[in-house]
Amino acid sequence: MSAIPEIALEKCTGCGDCVEKCPTKAVELVRDKAIMVRPEDCNYCTDCEAFCPSGAIKCPFEIILTKLEPQS
Amino acid sequence: MSSRADFLRSLPYFATLGAEEIKRMEKDLLECSFGKGELLFLEDEPCQGLYAVRSGQIRIFKSSSEGREQVLLIAKPGDTFNDVPVFDGGPNPASASALEPSTVCIVPKETVLSLVADCPSALTIIRLFAARLRHLTLLVEDLSFHHVVSRLAKTLLELAVVEGGPSPVPRLTQDEMAAMVGTIRDVISRALRALEKAGAIRIEGRRILVVDPEKLRGMI
Ligand code: SF4
Ligand code: SF4
Repeated sequence: MSAIPEIALEKCTGCGDCVEKCPTKAVELVRDKAIMVRPEDCNYCTDCEAFCPSGAIKCPFEIILTKLEPQS
Repeated sequence: MSSRADFLRSLPYFATLGAEEIKRMEKDLLECSFGKGELLFLEDEPCQGLYAVRSGQIRIFKSSSEGREQVLLIAKPGDTFNDVPVFDGGPNPASASALEPSTVCIVPKETVLSLVADCPSALTIIRLFAARLRHLTLLVEDLSFHHVVSRLAKTLLELAVVEGGPSPVPRLTQDEMAAMVGTIRDVISRALRALEKAGAIRIEGRRILVVDPEKLRGMI
């Protein structure tokens, strides 16, 4: 499952700030609502979340304890 | 009296000035308007003068080498900013941009300094204080950042669970992490990168992997 931001459409005012800030053009306005039109391009940089003035976009992180060896 | 003079008098820096001096300040005063998002000045550029917000809101921020911005202050009407370089003669310590359409007044550096020109010893003392303030501000930034890194390390250690284990994997946005450790989102994203650089965690998409709990513990 690729990581993409969660958009609460009922909170989205269609201001387009996230579209303007997204470095990968993964999000666009469709009928005045922010939609992840190219989810595969999203690199989860969280810029859209940082700039959304209405708190409609959330980029949560899962906090996982792993047994992997740390990479040098 | 013109409203510009009234405005100058309302600023703590100039509150005690006499009519003559206010007139001198007013003569050299520049008033500039900026659109939303427009830059007023950049960090490390030579200082133009003392800024005061007449209307709107100005964001004072520092940019990291990765191009991320950390907001230090939002200056509102009646607030002054960029005062340290006026007095210590150094470059602008941070950048400034308009958060919304804003008007600012700029009193040129030389005009501000002319207020103490006939008292060179006062000028020396102010210079020393300003230089010390610049130094302490950097130190506080540094200390408080280390404090955030340490509290974030503690929080991640407490929260992290093994995938597929009995407890559900916690999910947190950077704003939520910021609220938990008592800081702002910008600082959290820098702190996460610091922990990743130290090799304690790895960020893969939406997953924050605690790859070296011992190292994370060592950072508390
Ligand atoms: S997380 Fe980054 S890449 Fe993904 S949609 Fe938001 S701004 Fe675009
Ligand atoms: S920034 Fe927020 S409110 Fe504006 S279009 Fe994007 S999701 Fe909607």
